[in-house]
Amino acid sequence: MKYALKKLLTTFVTLVVVSLCVFLAFNILPGDPAVRMLGLEASPELIEQTREKMGLNDPVLVRYFRWFTAFLHGDFGTSYSYSVPVAGMIISKIPITLTLGLLAFALTILISIPLGIVTAKYENGILDRAITVINQVIMAIPPFFSGILITLVFGMIFKFFTPGGFISYTDDIGGFVKYLIFPSIAIALPKIAMTVRMLRGNLIDEAGKDYARTAYSRGNNTNGVLYRHVLKNAMIPVITFLGMALADMVAGSIVVEQVFSIPGISRILLTSISNRDYPVVEAIIMGIAIIVIGVNFLVDIIYMMIDPRIRIDE
Amino acid sequence: MNDISLKKILKNPYLVIGGIIMGLILLMIIVGFFWMPYEPTKMSASEKLQGISLKHIMGTDNMGRDVFSRVMYGSRVTLMIAVGTIIIGAGVGTIIGAITGYYGGVIDEVVMRIIDALFAFPSILLALVIVSVFGVGWGQLVISLGIAFVPSFARIVRGEVLRCKNMDYIENARLQGVSDIRMIFVHILPNIKGVMASSILIGFNNAVLAEAGLSYLGVGSQPPYASLGRMLSDAQQYMLTRPSYVICPGIVIVMMVLGFAFLGEGIKRWK
Repeated sequence: MKYALKKLLTTFVTLVVVSLCVFLAFNILPGDPAVRMLGLEASPELIEQTREKMGLNDPVLVRYFRWFTAFLHGDFGTSYSYSVPVAGMIISKIPITLTLGLLAFALTILISIPLGIVTAKYENGILDRAITVINQVIMAIPPFFSGILITLVFGMIFKFFTPGGFISYTDDIGGFVKYLIFPSIAIALPKIAMTVRMLRGNLIDEAGKDYARTAYSRGNNTNGVLYRHVLKNAMIPVITFLGMALADMVAGSIVVEQVFSIPGISRILLTSISNRDYPVVEAIIMGIAIIVIGVNFLVDIIYMMIDPRIRIDE
Repeated sequence: MNDISLKKILKNPYLVIGGIIMGLILLMIIVGFFWMPYEPTKMSASEKLQGISLKHIMGTDNMGRDVFSRVMYGSRVTLMIAVGTIIIGAGVGTIIGAITGYYGGVIDEVVMRIIDALFAFPSILLALVIVSVFGVGWGQLVISLGIAFVPSFARIVRGEVLRCKNMDYIENARLQGVSDIRMIFVHILPNIKGVMASSILIGFNNAVLAEAGLSYLGVGSQPPYASLGRMLSDAQQYMLTRPSYVICPGIVIVMMVLGFAFLGEGIKRWK
């Protein structure tokens, strides 16, 4: 339990560090948010009044603290461009991007772990060699290009789905998930390739160690050694990688959403970046940061559960 | 990393394949400085969206511009952005990693906390944050991607410096009164050049991917001088009428990434 508490504390510290970085990045910018909101023709008195009202005259750390505590309470500020609360703008988009990322993550696990085991089990066999080559190529294809190719082949030629025919989850949840399957394949492909390669390498390394030989000599067959002994150890680095991959896939969905014209977080983020609508950008970035940090915390906890050495060390 | 001979390189299939691919791409880019089949921005209303032919070996785009000439130009832009990214990322990352690793203590704790937090952050998102701070354009893109690449280099170099700093030859140099700066740059860093070389090549691989992704989103190089990623986003709507317009620049991106990946893998396996 001490270990979990310690991790919880570092997680919180990381969150504070990240939020401070994000806040400072958007607050050292030239340009006055009050002027941006009111326009260049506004009178100096009005600007001063607005600055006071927005709390812009306080020291940076006070503003940071106010922003951070408000953020934890679900108040993400007001959009500069639309003058509406940011939370309302993004809350309906989060399920779309999150579903896309999680679908891609599920696909990655479902496909890469069996493939990694098979390629390691039949090391240097035909299947293993073929997959190694295919993996190398897949890793070189950026998700948006595979997305374009998938749209062309499966959307336009074979008509498995209608490109641009996104269905909202409020209308038809089945159609919504169905539309997201092809985009999630585009996001998952390079991660699948990386995970297979990593798991294969780890399994082969672990299988050469002494404990694996001991397990064999105690009368286990190949499958027994593989599933009961080797796999567990080989999975430890893979779990770290998958944690990072999940974060990457949520971020990667920003690009792929554009390819498949999915109205998720991506569109708001990109328009807000070009409009310099910082509260919206800040909120989205912080949202993704919280997901990333949360996943890392979960990874540490899963570690503790599968690797007793960590518990004893503490 | 020593005794580099042609025979040893030829025995390493990764280096050979990577070398051939990168050689061809570099050749295309270098030739592009002196000669291109057409001016990459020259439009022609009568030659819109043509297929692959002898006259236009990759066809033409929706404005009648020659796709091959644009790919030649676009690869140059993409590669230059990648080079800039690596110079910033590897340069700053190496300095941070070397200093934190060498001195340790409080600076190390604080800086590495920040680096760890940034490292956990997807680099494309980090670059998007920085682009939104600096604005849109290819110069800004180089700075953004460069900063986004600092954490990974800093971590690699820090780890290597930690590994080296207690070795006997360093102790020996310390007894001879070598200054800290000289110790880091003359004695430690040359010793980790093998690791650096492969991480720089993998960095190139990631930089090309990230640049393509960000330009695809429209925050990188601006038209009419487009990088490869930008060409793809322009081409996407014509993919059914003229697939070659989308596929050709896409394949060049894939080849570029593959070339760097093979070279990086080859150096990693160099014994």
